[in-house]
Amino acid sequence: MMLSFKDVSASIGIIPILRGLDVEIPQSQTVAMIGRNGAGKTTFLRTIMGFTRTTGEIRFDGKRIDTLHPPKRPGLGIGYAPEDRRLFSAFTVEENILLPAQAAGLDQAETQKRLDRAYEILPELREMAGRPGGQVSGGQGKMVALARALMLGRKLVLLDEPFQGLAPALAQRYSEALRALRDSDRSVTLIITESNPALLRGFADRTLVIERGEIAEGAPQTEGESA
Amino acid sequence: MNLTTFLLALFDGVSYAALVFIVALGLTLIFGVMRILNVAHGSLYAIGAYATVSLVGWVLALGAAPILAFPLMIVSAILVGVLIGGPVEYLLLRRIYDKPEVLQLLVTFAVFMILEDVQRLVWGTQPYFEAQALRALGNVTVFGVTYTVYQLILLPLVALTLLVGLRFFLRRTVTGKLITATTEDREAAQSIGIDADRVFLLTFVMGAILAGLGGALASPTTSILPGMGADMIVLSFAVVATAGLGQIEGAAIAALMIGMGRSFAIYIWPEVAVLVPYLIMVLVLLVRPEGLFGSPAARKI
Repeated sequence: MMLSFKDVSASIGIIPILRGLDVEIPQSQTVAMIGRNGAGKTTFLRTIMGFTRTTGEIRFDGKRIDTLHPPKRPGLGIGYAPEDRRLFSAFTVEENILLPAQAAGLDQAETQKRLDRAYEILPELREMAGRPGGQVSGGQGKMVALARALMLGRKLVLLDEPFQGLAPALAQRYSEALRALRDSDRSVTLIITESNPALLRGFADRTLVIERGEIAEGAPQTEGESA
Repeated sequence: MNLTTFLLALFDGVSYAALVFIVALGLTLIFGVMRILNVAHGSLYAIGAYATVSLVGWVLALGAAPILAFPLMIVSAILVGVLIGGPVEYLLLRRIYDKPEVLQLLVTFAVFMILEDVQRLVWGTQPYFEAQALRALGNVTVFGVTYTVYQLILLPLVALTLLVGLRFFLRRTVTGKLITATTEDREAAQSIGIDADRVFLLTFVMGAILAGLGGALASPTTSILPGMGADMIVLSFAVVATAGLGQIEGAAIAALMIGMGRSFAIYIWPEVAVLVPYLIMVLVLLVRPEGLFGSPAARKI
């Protein structure tokens, strides 16, 4: 199992958000996590990254990670692109993409290899490599955040509402990039949260529906449409 | 005011501004990255001065050349940063980052009080004076005004090197980039694998080294005595607040303004000289509450 949750509850401050989750996600699966705003989608991803107060057991790639210091988790092969993209405005687009590799202390050759791969999946980023991180549009920022997540996310990539606020043409480009990512490496596991299930139809292997902090298995095509 | 007094005031101002800037640089670095106003910074400055005087006095008594005082200043600063700054961050501040600012201020103030007494315990209350380093570099005469090379050339040069060096470090080196990223967005930094705890420890130690270095560099120019830390922390607060919290280049300009204001006041209207730095700060903050170069929302360094 790539990722497993055993009786995981998470809270932010004193407010419980996730309640007793039991989920198993096998390697190379693409999971769409559907839920309304406030249902706990973001908290689910932030719990994997270690930013919530958590009880229960989370295992990644056979290793228990819920007790692991949050900044150590990306190094295991987890990439995370938060909803609000959160680029560093002090740095250029390329410096932003490179930061995770530098934080992990990867050598020059490996860093370059991963950067090339990110550019292969998102070729349009090459042209804006030198632009300051604070001067890209919302949609472009999402692309940069995806590229940044790919630098360390060799095993698991978490994308929080990537299509939120994207213009249709950019959304199209973004899903092409996701397909390119999956085609380039079939072993990578993807978890994508989304409030609009239509956007991930036909792309996800599996749909999970999150409602008031509890997760249920969803039949992607039918239940998704009624949500 | 004739040319001689003008030049004297100018030189006094430059050398004073350089010292204040070095201390303020550490204070603004720590604030910029960690959002903690470190009152104990003044004690680190004072201990840097005491440590230098003791170390230089001891080594020179063994018959070493006076020029050795310079590397010993750096050694003292690093000792202060690592041996005092490190434990203060690791054992104390680390526990209160998510606590209210008032509490953080109280804790660093408590550290300041403790360190003040430690100084009295270790070095007593008698003033120390050790100016070998100052004499080793000799004097220079500019338009008929003789001034020490140490204060007129070395101090401003060190201040400038630190300004340029720190900027380069934060923008161009990997470690510096990790610090800059953590400053901007701590959670986003952690989510890409940056260990914010280590960044904070490193930043605090660096800031403490700058405080210690300020004290070390000040030591040949002044008597080392209890209370010097309190004077310096108030003054460097004024510089940092005038510049805008977390502003590195701004701190250099604010230090120059305040240093010059003070030294010219000494020659023109000595009664108010002590007040001038704070008058400048108050005037600037009345017009721009976020400081000369600060912006109300953005968090950068």
